[in-house]
Amino acid sequence: MSVVWKDLRRLVLGVVAGGLLILLPFYAGEYTVTTFVRIIYFGFLALSVGMLVGQAGMISLTQTAFFGLAGYVIGLLGAERGMPFPWRDLIAIAAVLVMALLFGLVAMRTHKIVFLMITLAFGQICWAFAQQNTSLLHGWAGIRGIRPPAIAGINFNRTSNFYWASLLIFALGILVLRLLARSSFGLALNGIRENPRRMAALGYPVYWIRVAAFLIAAIYAGIGGLLATYNTGIITPTTIQLSRTIWVLLMVILGGSTYFWGPVVGTAVAVWLDVLLSEGTERYNTVIGVIFVFVVLFLPGGILSISDSLRDGRGFPFWRRLYARKNSG
Amino acid sequence: METKLLILILNGLTQAAIFFVLGSGLTLAFGLMRVINLSHGAFYLLGGYIGYSVVHATGNWPLALIAGGLSIALLGFLFERTMLFRVRGGDLPETLLTIALSMIIADVSLAIWGGHPLTLNVPAYLNPRVTIFGITYPGFRYLLMGISVFIALSLWLILYQTKLGAAVRAGVDDRETVSALGVNIDAIYSLVFVLSALLVGIAGVLGGSYLQLSPGGDTTILTYSLVIIILGGMGSLLGTVVSSLILGQLLSFGLAYAPQYSYFLIFVPMAIVLAIRPQGLFGREL
Repeated sequence: MSVVWKDLRRLVLGVVAGGLLILLPFYAGEYTVTTFVRIIYFGFLALSVGMLVGQAGMISLTQTAFFGLAGYVIGLLGAERGMPFPWRDLIAIAAVLVMALLFGLVAMRTHKIVFLMITLAFGQICWAFAQQNTSLLHGWAGIRGIRPPAIAGINFNRTSNFYWASLLIFALGILVLRLLARSSFGLALNGIRENPRRMAALGYPVYWIRVAAFLIAAIYAGIGGLLATYNTGIITPTTIQLSRTIWVLLMVILGGSTYFWGPVVGTAVAVWLDVLLSEGTERYNTVIGVIFVFVVLFLPGGILSISDSLRDGRGFPFWRRLYARKNSG
Repeated sequence: METKLLILILNGLTQAAIFFVLGSGLTLAFGLMRVINLSHGAFYLLGGYIGYSVVHATGNWPLALIAGGLSIALLGFLFERTMLFRVRGGDLPETLLTIALSMIIADVSLAIWGGHPLTLNVPAYLNPRVTIFGITYPGFRYLLMGISVFIALSLWLILYQTKLGAAVRAGVDDRETVSALGVNIDAIYSLVFVLSALLVGIAGVLGGSYLQLSPGGDTTILTYSLVIIILGGMGSLLGTVVSSLILGQLLSFGLAYAPQYSYFLIFVPMAIVLAIRPQGLFGREL
């Protein structure tokens, strides 16, 4: 197949998918639209984690904290003190940036598994603070009654309006990330993932590139947090607890962390799975855990790697992993 | 006032005793295998729950300690042999597998033991009232400290006075050479992982007799374990001792004087150490 045809096919596919997404509120029920809103805000979180894991090779378990921080800031400033849009939202993103910078400066001194442990601990600090602090953040109860603003007379309390706004922001977010991934910055990030020492020897400021990546990822998590909080109207410590963080990591791995669309695909699958499972079984976490084990052992590249390995004639990845176990260690 | 202070210090020591047993296994496994077992907290919880059931059925606390430890050791062995070894050397898959396992364990424990907090019943003969220097304190807590010290000494003996320990320590530095010298490094890996599981199972029974076991406790315990070994320095037994002592006192005094921030306070020494000395108090550069 020639390159032109491939591009054309992609274009058609993109237009059809985009059209279907934009027209969603006209042909789908309210519940479906709400589920897509969930996919979008968790998608932001997954993009945040996916960028760090896939592009930079940094497994961060702090991202949910930024997600929650943004929610807490609009709750504190907007719902409780009446600060108008867009100031509270801008302050929320600024707060996320400041916290990410503080975390980043410390965490980027470490690599790999130590980085993972430290980000996990950071995430838990935030959770502990939110949960134990009753004077400002109201402990377990959290902050309620956070409503999306009306901009230019459009009421974003309506599900369809909120969905379109989220979709637009998501599209912009993906576009920006796409440009970033293909820029020299994105390539440098990939280089650092593969070999930080060589990149340092080539004169790249490895430490600062990683810090910058961490900040960008934090912004994505923060935007996701804003959308999520407006959508649910409530922010509690549960939002940032460890199991949520792990769930997001699962979404990224499920889709395929090294693929650009991996986090988005993973989120879409995981959120729908969530809907199906929470109706069907009480042992929800066990099912998720088992799926997780299977993905890690037999489909480490994620869902998107299936088509790749089929095309390369390497067979279905699942079977390949089962039979090719000889040369480990 | 004097008495209150001493009681708080003793509480801190009790907490430190549990922290040490909790952290020592994790730090050993990490030092040798560079694998961080994120199901450590779930192992603790399950060990404690199994101990609870044994005490509930037989009333025999020492038996519960053994049962809790051995069952988790067995679980660790099976997990290492069937799954973990398949992805050895890959940070991401190793981490994810242990996370997945912890989710499954926590959920199954919830199904079996329910959502209410449980505490192991300690028989009266293990819990006499002991008065030292005019302070009356539950004897069982002294027993906890004793067990912890015993475990620390045993680990030190194994690591520094036996051939096996020498092989483990050598494996930390250079796995290939140790392997070339005829040591079965894979067996050593399994052994250390099982030892780590055994220790955390014991920690679960000890902790479950002093504090409560409840759903969600696994992530709290996991966080404690990570903070302990980050602060002490990963792979260092001495570091684990020191960081357990620091964190035990911090938790005890924090609960007494700043209950809103007690959990939060635990992270302060870690943050300071990370900023100044990322490898931890007694750790080596990785």
